Amino acid sequence: MQLAATQRTPLMEISGSSCRIVGECYPENIQEFSSPVMTELKSVVPDSGSYTVELELFYFNSSSAKFFFDFFEFFEEKAEAGLTVNVNWNYRLDDDTMLEAGEDFAEDMIKCKFELVEMPSEASADAEGEE
Amino acid sequence: MVSDATLELHKFMQARKTLFCYSGPLSEDLLTSISNPVRHQLSETDSSDSVAKKVFGVFIEQAQNIIRYADTRSTVTGDGVGTIAISLTDEGFLIEAVNTIDSEKSNALEKSLVDLSMKDATELRKMYKERLRSGPPEGSKGAGLGFIEMARRVQRFEFEIAETENGPVFVYRGYVE
Repeated sequence: MQLAATQRTPLMEISGSSCRIVGECYPENIQEFSSPVMTELKSVVPDSGSYTVELELFYFNSSSAKFFFDFFEFFEEKAEAGLTVNVNWNYRLDDDTMLEAGEDFAEDMIKCKFELVEMPSEASADAEGEE
Repeated sequence: MVSDATLELHKFMQARKTLFCYSGPLSEDLLTSISNPVRHQLSETDSSDSVAKKVFGVFIEQAQNIIRYADTRSTVTGDGVGTIAISLTDEGFLIEAVNTIDSEKSNALEKSLVDLSMKDATELRKMYKERLRSGPPEGSKGAGLGFIEMARRVQRFEFEIAETENGPVFVYRGYVE
């Protein structure tokens, strides 16, 4: 499954070995966005082997927090069943809101390996782009 | 002069350093349209990306509260009517929202906001996580997390429920710096 990013929803890539979410999430109706995503995950994520979850979020609203909670709960259950799950929560150096959000989710992940990965700040990333 | 009130409006908005203000029926489509201009306005200030993001986050929660819970609705579209603004103050950014609320819900709202205003960061985090786990309370059209989320992002917030001839009017003011 591949969903292109929109102004209020993130890029979404789901395969049998990895899942990637990049961007912002504050859709008008989170159910409309999350239902097909959860359905897809349930059908393609295996029960054994290994799986990588890559997140790079810049902002999500409180209504979307429930989706991410369900998303991580799904992977935690898969990990309990025997799947090796590696989660990378990428956040910008100066983004304490997304760091905190990552820490909140990380706390509940027992079986999944959950890494908080610091990226260069937006300003320095822009500067690199100009070089 | 016939234009006195208009001139006063301009002067008033400039003097209180209001970067953005909208008053009227608010819809999700309108919120999509104003998101980028609001961000642009924030990026023109000296604030860091991190502060701008917090201001934007509080703004979105307040806007969605108006969309979902404002008691006064547009007679044409049914959209919630309210006022929302972002201004610069000595205490940082002030994000304000005003809308009428259902009189039957005003006591419960007041109680939960008084409760939130007394919590520290650790307690707010705990509440947030508990609410995520338990799901939205009855009557919530979102995750029931909006006010907790805002309380976590602001330095402090104030609120008031004023009785008017049109029913109770809810005023929320959050400071971010």
